[in-house]
Formats: sequence, C-alpha cells, structure tokens
Amino acid sequence: MTRFLNALRDGVGFDILLVGAALLFLLALAGAPLVYNVLMSFQQVDMFTLGVLFRPFVGFDNYVAVVQQPEFWMVTRNTLVFVFGSMTGQFVLGFALALFFAQDFPGASTIRGLFLVSWVMPGLVVGAIWSWILAGDFGVLNVILKSLGIIQNNVFWKSDPNFSIWAVIIANIWLGLAFNMLLLSVGLAAIPRDLYEAAELDGANAFQRFWTITLPMMRSTIGAVLSLGLIGTLQQFDLFPALTEGGPANTSNVAGFWSWQLSFQLYDFAKGATVSVMMFLLVLFASVIYVRSTRHEVRG
Amino acid sequence: MTAQIELIDIDKHYGNFHALKNVSLTIDKGSFVALVGPSGCGKSTLLRSIAGLETITSGRMTIAGKEMTGVPPRHRDIAMVFQSYALYPHMTVEENLTYSLRLHGVSKADARKKAAEVAATTGLSELLSRYPRQLSGGQRQRVAMGRAIIRNPKAFLFDEPLSNLDAALRVQMRKEIRALHDRLGATSVYVTHDQIEAMTMADWVVVMRAGIIEQQGRPLDLYDKPVNRFVAGFIGSPAMNFLPGRIADSGNSVVLDGGGSLPLARNVEPGRTVIAGVRPEHLQVRGDDANFHLEVGVVESTGSATYLTSRDGNFQLVQSERTQLASGDRVGLGIDPTRVHLFDPETGIAL
Repeated sequence: MTRFLNALRDGVGFDILLVGAALLFLLALAGAPLVYNVLMSFQQVDMFTLGVLFRPFVGFDNYVAVVQQPEFWMVTRNTLVFVFGSMTGQFVLGFALALFFAQDFPGASTIRGLFLVSWVMPGLVVGAIWSWILAGDFGVLNVILKSLGIIQNNVFWKSDPNFSIWAVIIANIWLGLAFNMLLLSVGLAAIPRDLYEAAELDGANAFQRFWTITLPMMRSTIGAVLSLGLIGTLQQFDLFPALTEGGPANTSNVAGFWSWQLSFQLYDFAKGATVSVMMFLLVLFASVIYVRSTRHEVRG
Repeated sequence: MTAQIELIDIDKHYGNFHALKNVSLTIDKGSFVALVGPSGCGKSTLLRSIAGLETITSGRMTIAGKEMTGVPPRHRDIAMVFQSYALYPHMTVEENLTYSLRLHGVSKADARKKAAEVAATTGLSELLSRYPRQLSGGQRQRVAMGRAIIRNPKAFLFDEPLSNLDAALRVQMRKEIRALHDRLGATSVYVTHDQIEAMTMADWVVVMRAGIIEQQGRPLDLYDKPVNRFVAGFIGSPAMNFLPGRIADSGNSVVLDGGGSLPLARNVEPGRTVIAGVRPEHLQVRGDDANFHLEVGVVESTGSATYLTSRDGNFQLVQSERTQLASGDRVGLGIDPTRVHLFDPETGIAL
C-alpha cells in the first residue's frame, strides 16, 4: 500500500491511471453500445427477445431485408444529397466568411464571435425557427423571394417532394456554418503573414496567393473540417423531427432518421441497428481516407 | 552613377504614430545601402515602403526611373529576403526558387535550368528536393537569397536577414551576401540594427532614429565625422564615451567636469559648455602627461584586446596591448587632440 502511494506521489503509474479512467469511460459508453449494435444487426430481434443478449443468429438477412425495403434507395439518395449539399454549403460559405473575417476591419473579431450563436443553439430550436422561415403560406423566405421577383407563387418548402430535402439542407447549412468558419479561421490565422508578402513580391495576385499559399497550407485543417462535417451531417437528427419528419413520403428521409424510425417507431430494432452499422462503415471509410491523407503532412 | 531608387519626402503614419518623417533618400544603381538604427526607428517601415508592403501616407518614390508610388508589390520587380526567410513550407527548395518564374509563365524546363544555376551559385545543388523544414538555418537563408536572385530584380531588399543565425555563421553570411551583391552587380538595401553589419557590408550607411535620417554617408565618414551625438554613440563598438566639460579660456582645450582636461586641435569659443566625445579605442594609457585619470572597475581580456570599464561604469576603453591593470587601479589616460569630438550639450549637434 505504501509502495502504491509512493508511486502515486512520484507520478509513476499516475499517467496509466488517467488514461485508464478515460478508456474505461469510452469502452462503457461508446465501445459496448457499438459492439451491441453490430451484434444486433446479425440477430433476429423481436419483442420477445428484446431483453436477452444471445438471440437467434440470422447472418446477413437483416442487411438483405434493409436493401429490399422499397424506400432504401430513396433514403440512400437523400442521404447523399443531404451530406454533399450540407457539407458543400457549410464549407464554401464557411470558408468565404473565414476569409472575409480574416481581413483587418473594425469589429471583425467581435462579429465573428457573434456567429457562435448558431453553433450554440440546439438543433430543435434552429429547426423550429427555420420551420417558420420556410413555411409555405406565411414564411418570410417566400415573401422575400416573391418581392425580388424570383418566384411567382408560394413554394411549400417542407411539403413539396421536390424541395423537402433542401429545406432541411438549408437549415443544416445555417446550423453548421459557424463551426466550419471558426475552424477555418483558426487555420487561416496560423499561416504566417510574411508568406503572403513574399508571394506578393514574387508576383502572385490575390487569386494565385489563395491557390498556391492558402489552400496548400490549410490542407490538414480542411481535411479535419470535412471529416467532422461528414460525421456531424450523418449524425444530424434534430432538424428532421422539427422540419419534415422525413416526409412527405420519405422524400426528405435520410439514413440517421430512418434508423430511428425503424427502431423506435416501428420497433424493428434489427433493421434500425443494421442501417446504423451501414452508416458507421461509411464514416469509418471517410475517416481512414482523412487519416491517410494527413499522414505525410508537410509543415515547415 | 544613376539613381536606382529615389524616395522623395516620404511620410508614414500609423494612426497617431508618425513612423517616417519626411524621408528623402537616393540609392545609386549598384550600391549596397544599409539602413541602420535602434528598434522602432522606422528602418523596416522604410524598407517595406520601398517594397510596397506598406502604403506611404505622402511622398513619392521611383524605382529604375519609373514612378512607383501606389504600385502594388507584385508590379515593382523587387525581391526581398525576410528575417524569418518566409520560405513556402509546402514547397521543395526547387519549387521555392522557381515560384516566381512559374507565376510569370516561364516553361518548366527553363525554370528548372534557372533553379539549377541559382542553386550552384548559392550552394544548394544537393538540396533541391528537400523541404524547408529539413534545412539548417544557414541553408534556409541561402534558399531565401536564391529565391531573390533567380528573378534578376531591380533591387534586393534585406530585412535583418542574419539575426536568426549564430555568430559564426553570421560573419560568414555577411561576406557571402556582399560577394553575391558584387558578382550580380545588384542594387541592395539592407536593414539591420547591428552597426557592425552596416559598417562592414555597405558602401553607404543611413542612420535613422525616430522616423528621420540622422546622417548618411560612407561608413568611415560616419565613424570619423558623426554629425551629432546620437550617430557618434551608435556607430562604433564599444560606444563612444561622452564627458561633460567647458572650453578653457585659451580655447584649445576642454576642462572636464570630472577632473582633467582634453587637448583640442582647433580653437573653440572659450567658456562654452560642451560634451566631449572620445572613442574607447583612441585612448592611450599614459604616465606623467595624462590628460585625465579614472579608476578601473572591470578588466576583460579577449587575448587580442583588453576592455577596461571605469569603476562608475560610464567609461570604456580598449587597449590593443596586454595590460597589468587590475580593478581598483588609478589610471592616467591621454588622447590625440584630432580624435576629440565636441557636441552641443542641448542639441547634441557636433561642433
């Protein structure tokens, strides 16, 4: 016992204790559910076997069944549209704002700080606000578009099958914009100013400086932003119940929300778990690509 | 000689701070000009104004006869070596060297050939495929210089390029930069706070303080004939000693307030209060015919020279011979009358 206390006092083993606590926490609250989820996707789960761990093993039956669901391909297509639409919007607008606020003008950092508001707000609240903005008959977006002459008649953003997924994408872009902008701002701030001055003297115009200095120097930041963006977008849930509930007729349904519907509205836990495992594989794939792309990171 | 860079009445304000005050300067083609002064004197601001990285508040400038006021840096055809080197970390040495050529649409083969030539002159041939982070400080310095010379610009600007190197390398690079300048027949403007660098490298030294040019001239002229007390104290190492005193009734010597007197080689208005300036290396230890005495404090010997500091810490002298003097000794000092400088106590202007 004394030896143990002495070891603690000297700091020997204390590092292991700290790492151990964090690992235990992760294993219990992230690792175990993940393994249980994967396990469940290979089992036959119904109301009678809900409480047991070892249920009848069914191989890939659940996967086959999920793919054979009539809405599977629509949900897949929607998920891809949602992910690419949201990430493109968040990244392009976020980068543009980060570049804008990197300029030196009065109040730049204060206004940039205000953008945090969108990041701090809960998704359900953001969803409720956008639900009003996008409302077909009294929404402010329709009023603006009509007064600008862009549309003649009201667009029912949330209930028109052609627009419903875009209604969620617009809200999601707004929600994730600040996070993208802040991470990219940090990356921009880390580029030494004299590199730009040297490039300017070497004859580079603003576009060439962006292309040959900013982008290559931001490589690891951009990789991190896109990876986190992919994860965050696939995990996005709150906006769907607040805006469209995946409807009408699954035209705005995505994998994450569908998985929840299968598990907790239809009580088909096996299929719900299967969909989430498929999503997990997608994120894993993207993460591996990201890690590989930054392994040979060039930093001076 | 024709003027390569001409600055006329340059003013620069940063908010309330007046960084450059009516600075005019002509830099001859092929000359090596050093801008020197203490921190915050405006020397870097002046250099960056020549490059166009700072916009001047008022005044005009021409480079190679062309009006350059308000022209963006990329159209000035000027190369700069930064204190931090500012190498592009994501590019190899070769890509760093050829960056400007590629921007100007030079073909890949020509750029490579040019890079090989420049690498040969700067000793980088073996390092072309390395990244800046894989280079030592001296090698990075060479890449920065190579990047400047590959473009054959109208002028080279150096912003304290040696301050990140260790002492031995600094002395070596001093000579290399000067040799490169001579070989290329370039026009160079070199900013430094180190007056030794300025004196050893430049043909023309510009001493600045608080946004104005205090004095400009050939290095030895500044050493021999400083126009005021600031320049006298700034040029020369160790710095000049200043002794308050009064001109004797005879007009040809200074009676020092601290006791003793200094002979003068000319006649000055008798009774006038002055500050006498004597360089540490111009004083001789004498016996009977000493001009004044002081008590030795610290004795530092480097082998080739001995540095003596007075007990009160205000006075230094350098002896080229070895000395038996020790702390606490009282020593008599003499000086050649032509080596005594006189300054007005109020204005600091040389008399």
